[in-house]
Order: sequence, then C-alpha cells, then structure tokens
Amino acid sequence: MHIKQSMSERVFYVVNYLFLALCAVVTIFPFINILATSLSSGRAIMSGEVFLWPVEWNLSSYRTLWQDGQMFVALKNSVIITVVGTAINMVGTIMIAYPLSKKRLRGRSIITKFIVFTMLFNGGLIPNFILVKMLGLMNTYGALWFPAIVSVYNMTIMLNFFRGIPDSLEEAAQIDGANEIYILVKLILPLSMPVIATLTLFYAVGWWNNYFNVMIYITSSDKVSMTVKLMQMINTISDTMLNSGEGVQAQEKMVPEGIKAAAIVVSTVPILCVYPFLQKYFVKGVMIGSLKG
Amino acid sequence: MRSLIYDRYLYLLMLPILFYFVIFKYLPMLGLVMAFKDFNLTMGIIDSPWVGLKHFERLFSSPDFYQILRNTLLLNVYSILFYFPVPIILSLLLNEVKNRVFKKTVQSILYIPYFISWVVLGGIIISLLSPSTGVVNAILKLFHIEPIYFMKSTFWWPVVYVLSSIWQSAGWGTIIYMAAITGIDAEQYEAALIDGANKWQQVWHITLPGIRSTIAIMLILRMGQMLDVGFEQVYMLQNDAVHSVSEVISTYEYRIGLAGAQYSYTTALGLFKSVIGLILITSTNKVVNLLGEDGLW
Repeated sequence: MHIKQSMSERVFYVVNYLFLALCAVVTIFPFINILATSLSSGRAIMSGEVFLWPVEWNLSSYRTLWQDGQMFVALKNSVIITVVGTAINMVGTIMIAYPLSKKRLRGRSIITKFIVFTMLFNGGLIPNFILVKMLGLMNTYGALWFPAIVSVYNMTIMLNFFRGIPDSLEEAAQIDGANEIYILVKLILPLSMPVIATLTLFYAVGWWNNYFNVMIYITSSDKVSMTVKLMQMINTISDTMLNSGEGVQAQEKMVPEGIKAAAIVVSTVPILCVYPFLQKYFVKGVMIGSLKG
Repeated sequence: MRSLIYDRYLYLLMLPILFYFVIFKYLPMLGLVMAFKDFNLTMGIIDSPWVGLKHFERLFSSPDFYQILRNTLLLNVYSILFYFPVPIILSLLLNEVKNRVFKKTVQSILYIPYFISWVVLGGIIISLLSPSTGVVNAILKLFHIEPIYFMKSTFWWPVVYVLSSIWQSAGWGTIIYMAAITGIDAEQYEAALIDGANKWQQVWHITLPGIRSTIAIMLILRMGQMLDVGFEQVYMLQNDAVHSVSEVISTYEYRIGLAGAQYSYTTALGLFKSVIGLILITSTNKVVNLLGEDGLW
C-alpha cells in the first residue's frame, strides 16, 4: 500500500531530519572541542583558537598526565570499584527480581511493598553515613558497595522483563524435575540477555561516574577513584578560568588547562568503549510499568 | 503451607536481599530519631540525649532554610517545565525517522553525555563558557557581543543548570519512551491510515495515548524528587558568586552535615525532605489513579 505524502508531511520530514541532526551536533560538539583542546598547544588554548580541530598538535598534556602516575592508580581503582560493584548489583538484582516475578509466590505483594517503600522514603544522608561509620566500613570499598546492592528502579525493570517470559517454558522444565535455581540459571537467564546487558550498563555507568560516595567515604588518596582525582585537578585550575578576565600569567595556566582536557578524555574513553556493544539491547531491555498486579 | 515448601528455593534466593533492605534501608530510617536527639558519635544513637523539636525549631527559623528550599523548588520547577517534555518530544520525532542508519546514529550520539560523570561534564561546561578561552564566548564575539560570565551570573546560572540537564540526560530519557512506543500495536496505525488520518492525528490519537502510562510513571517518580536536586550536578557547577541561587538542600546537607559534622540538625532537614517527598509521590500517584491510569501502584 502506497499513500502519496502530502506537501506538509514532506516539509515535516525534512525539518525533522535537520532538527535531529542539529541536536546530535550540539550534543557531541563539546566533546570534540575538549578532545581538540587536549591535543593543542598551551598557547593556542589560551588565545581561544581551538574549535573542532587541534591547533599546533602536541601530546605534552597527555605526557604530563602520565608522569604524575597517580592517574594510573585512580584509573585502576575505578575499574575495581566498577567491576566488583556491578557484579554484586547484578547477582543481587536477579536474586530478588526473579522470585518476585512469580505471580503464584505467597507473600509476593507484601514483600514488593516492603521493597518499593524504600524508593518512596529513606533515611537520608546522615543516618546512612553514621551506619557506614558504625559498621567500620569507612575508607573501604565496602562503604560504596554494600549500601547499594539493589536499585529498586532497576529491579522493577528486570521484574517486568521476567514477567514477559512465558510460564509454559518453566512448567515444562518443572515436569522434568528441575528445581527453581536450575531453571533460573539454565533457562531464564539465557533468555534475559537484553535486560541483563541493559542493567549491567546502568549499574556500571553509575559506579564509573560515582563521585559523591567516594568523596565522603574514601579518605586515603591512593584509594580514590578517577572522578575524585579529576575533581582535585579541576579545582586547582577552574578558579583561574572563571575569573579569566586577567589572563596575563598565561605561561602558568596553559599547561593545566590542557592537562584537564586530557584527563577528561582519559576518564571518558573506557565507558565509551563498552557502550556500543551493549547499546543494541537498550530498547528491548527497558520496560517500566506499574508495580501492582 | 505446601506452596511454601514448593517454592522454598525462591524464598531462599530472596532472603539475603531482604536482609540487605533491612540493614541498609530500614535501619537508617530508624536512625532518623537522631533528629530529635543531640547525637554525638561517642555516645551513639541510643544514649544521646533527647531534645524534642529543638533542631526543627532552629531549622524553620533559619534564613538558610528558606533560601535552600526556594532554590531547590525553583530548579525542580524549571526542570519539570523545560526538561521533562524534552525526551518525550525527542522520542516522537525519532519515531518518525524512516532512515535506520540516521536514527541509530542520532540516538547513539544523544545517549553519550549520560555515560559521562558530572565531574567531567561540569569541567567541560565551565571550559566552554569561560569568558576568555571558552568557545561560546568566542562565537558571541563574532557577533560583537561582549563576553558573558555565565557561571558567575545569578540570571544565567539556572539557565545553564537546565540546559546541562537536557544535554546530559534528555537523549537517554528517550529510551523509556521509545520502548513504550515500540509496544504500540502497528495495526492501529494501519487502520488510521486507511481512515485518512494525517501524521499529527496519528501522534495525537495513537502514539501519545500509547505512552501515556509511561509518562505518568515518570512524572510520579519525578514528583517524588521535588526536594532532591542531584548533588553532583549542582556541586560541580556552583561557585561562590552564584551561592544565592545554587545552594540547594543536598549541597547544604553535605556542607553543614558532613563537612560541618552537625549531624542531628542535618538529619532534621533530611527527615523534612523525606516526608515531603513521600507526600508528593503518593499524592501524585493518587491523582494519576483518579485520572484512570495505573500509576506506580
């Protein structure tokens, strides 16, 4: 069936394409600008010449960054926090979402309420902080991992996905005498790759980008993450940038400005490498819905 | 009883996680009694003396409180007005794109900022908006406009805040709506085409009603956060010059509560915030139910 497009519809399509392309350009532009800055000379940066392409190519910003050595340690810490944290999250989320996805489970409704309530009401910053302190978790990664084992929001996404899997599959396996754990691991999880991929990414990004908790719980400088290290670097130079009316001591400032851009690039690249692999699962994996029923 | 035994593995699976919720979610709720005590670390919560509503009286008579409450509410109102519709509109527009390669490319690019920490995004924004080396002011200069000190202006700061939210998460926000749009029955569109419905009528009568319940749930969740402004975004963007518009409850809690160690006073503020959040989320859900939607529960 072919229906001739009206004139106004054709105009709409053209405008729509142009508008979305513009959105994409505006979104990506700042990153390209930072990438170009990180590869430019200090002089070019200070005189505001860098736009989309590096001016007076050089790698000195990156060299200075690595000479520090601390960046490597922080990068390694971020990887540990992210990998272990995400593994805990996924196991925890599956352990609670799978039983709750079973409509026949006795007490399901009350348990769901018990969990969802924590999304609506919480103890807040100070009681959580005191709890972590009293459990002796200060300055350990446990302070980051243990208070955040399951995100209720992510749990509901997984729960909705499990509910979409036909019961008949499970019933067939039960007739063969398989127990619930076996069914979960051998049957349900392989069918759930879209939601597993999506939530793995959600959690991993959260860990990689976490700043606040690392700042308040991790006190020794050899344990801090990339974000905290980066913030320390930015703090030392952003004041000069905000007040840059008097950009006279350019010699002093030009290196930090480029290093900051280089540090931003280095901390961003790992997450951008993982993301294309998981991206194809997004739309299939993310269905939120009412929690009743 | 039979079913309990039959499903014993399911209960065993849940048990550790329920324990986690008790320890790390419900125990801190009990910790809220600190708001009615003069808590100090050496005595612990139980032995610290009761002081009644002292901390609340101090809180409600403090000018700081009204300032941070106003700033928090304002930033959230701006964000609901100017940010909340953006992912919905973007999804509707993306849904009209026929060229798959173009659609995928635009989507992938729009998602990117969501994957990047506010520390980085904040650093980038400050760099871009810098009056001397920033690209934005360089462009303004081409039009002979004087450099604007965006980050130091109490007028521009909230604008930057909202725009930075859109930049960071509007693209990502489309995922939820795109998933909902995919779930709409294609036959409805075919029927509409046969009836001669134009694009606009299809969007209005099929697509929007199809994602209405998703919009409702997102709005309910959003309303629950009326007194929550994400700490990291504000903390990265704020500076002393814009303190009067940028200090919000979460940054104040950090500054007074943790950095200043005024635990009980800050817990009183936290309790206030949690109670208001609970009221807002339940009442929004009620309204949504009354309007005939499922809501969150």
